[in-house]
Amino acid sequence: MDRLGEIHQLLIALPGYTVTINLEVLVMTGVVVLLALIFGFAAGRKTGLLPGPFQIIGELLVSQLYGLTEEALGKRYAKIYAPMICALFIFLLISNWLGILPHLEEPTRDLNTPLGLGIMGFVIAHYVGIKEKGFKVYIKSYFEPVFFLMPLNVIGELAKIVSISFRLFGNIMGGAIIILVVSYLTFNILLPPFLNAFFGLFVGTIQAFVFTMLTVVYISVQLK
Amino acid sequence: MTLPAFDNPTLTHVAAYIGAAVAMGFGAIGAATGEGFTASKASEAIARNREHSGDIIKNMLVGQAISESASIFSLVVAILLLFMEIPDPGMVKAASLLGAGLCMGFGAIGSGVGAGVPAGRSCLAIARQPAISGRITTNMLIGTAVCQTPAIFAMVVALILLFKPTAGVPAFPTAAALIGAGLSTGLAAVGSGYGGGMAAGASCEGVARQPENATAVTTTMLVGQAVAQTPSVFGLLISFILMFRTFPESSALSASVGLFSAGLCMGLGGIGPGIGNGMTAEGAVRWVARRITYAGDLMRIMLVGQAVSQSTAIYAMVVSLALIFVV
Repeated sequence: MDRLGEIHQLLIALPGYTVTINLEVLVMTGVVVLLALIFGFAAGRKTGLLPGPFQIIGELLVSQLYGLTEEALGKRYAKIYAPMICALFIFLLISNWLGILPHLEEPTRDLNTPLGLGIMGFVIAHYVGIKEKGFKVYIKSYFEPVFFLMPLNVIGELAKIVSISFRLFGNIMGGAIIILVVSYLTFNILLPPFLNAFFGLFVGTIQAFVFTMLTVVYISVQLK
Repeated sequence: MTLPAFDNPTLTHVAAYIGAAVAMGFGAIGAATGEGFTASKASEAIARNREHSGDIIKNMLVGQAISESASIFSLVVAILLLFMEIPDPGMVKAASLLGAGLCMGFGAIGSGVGAGVPAGRSCLAIARQPAISGRITTNMLIGTAVCQTPAIFAMVVALILLFKPTAGVPAFPTAAALIGAGLSTGLAAVGSGYGGGMAAGASCEGVARQPENATAVTTTMLVGQAVAQTPSVFGLLISFILMFRTFPESSALSASVGLFSAGLCMGLGGIGPGIGNGMTAEGAVRWVARRITYAGDLMRIMLVGQAVSQSTAIYAMVVSLALIFVV
């Protein structure tokens, strides 16, 4: 029970301020990247007309996500952003699934990961918006419908980062806390595997998909 | 008549018992209503299509089991409140336990009712299209699971409040902040849970109506539900700030009331946008199923409409943040 909310941090004191590094998140993100690389290697190593199991999974993921991106962004932008969207989904999927393995933790359980990815999506969306519409039209969209609503429009845009990142973080961390508490209450008998399957595999998949789709949708809203 | 001794352990236990009663009492409302709705729709479905009553009953039971989970969360929190050992009794712990009870009690209402809607509508959908009952049940499971997100947020906040160490923390205004933290996530979850359910219900209907558009319908549902959940995400944010920020000790009434009101403001402010966004998503999902060629436009209009309807939740969040950091 003492592990609830425990974080291992590396504090580096610099003159003026302290740099805080969450060690576990760094290591686990590395594990996720490594697993993604292994998957990519296994999927792309021996490609052929008669695909192996990894090639099938890889092709399925990429073609589905490419299709969804193309539907939302159109052909031109899908070509640029679909690889990023596929990478985002695969990273999040492996991240959210990592917690079902003992001694490993989801990097998404720490707010820094979802927040970083959320800010990334936000910056990309607004970059695309400025590039597509031109700076003047882009700025003008904040002053609609009436000019004095500008501050609220800006807050509304920033609230998107809060909502997209806290949704993922709350779900993954919530699942982890519920698994921890229920395992403690039931002395690790019977229930934890089912809870891991539900929160780790099922909710993890859905939330990875929702995060990816919302990133696509935020970009597509800026395009129109 | 003499009043019992009003020392710290008594106070803490009183708070824990009231918290347990609130958690389980309110927590029972949503799931029971939702399950009743499911059963009523299942009856209608069986009346329409007697041959597939086996599939329909199976689907009904699975759906009801998921709607029930919100009230099982409440049960867990209530039992913890009743039987857990309280390490550092005092004013802050009492407020923390009461906050946990309030949070879980209110937080289970929306998800319970909401998860009942897709469960019921999917029974009707199976009666209409028995051939794809597997696809409909999967869609229902995804929809109801996403409906549980606000209840999961509420349970997380309740568990953090239960186990938060409070020894040596000044009583005021932290005590008020912790009750506010419970109310913020708890109340904000009411609207989001129900709203997500409406979107999921429409998607079950939509899958049955146009099975070939099932993927687009499920995707629209997930995006709509995710946006409908934003108010409860804001509630979670305010709760986290209220729980983890250290407030300087102050016996001034205004400081305590300010923090309590911050939680109350975000909680109440999140109810309406959650339901409204759910309605928007419901309409969009229904028409994506019928007119797949307009799916892109429908999704965009849904998002724009939801953003406008959500602005009130953002106003509530701004006022809450002002109450915490400025006033």
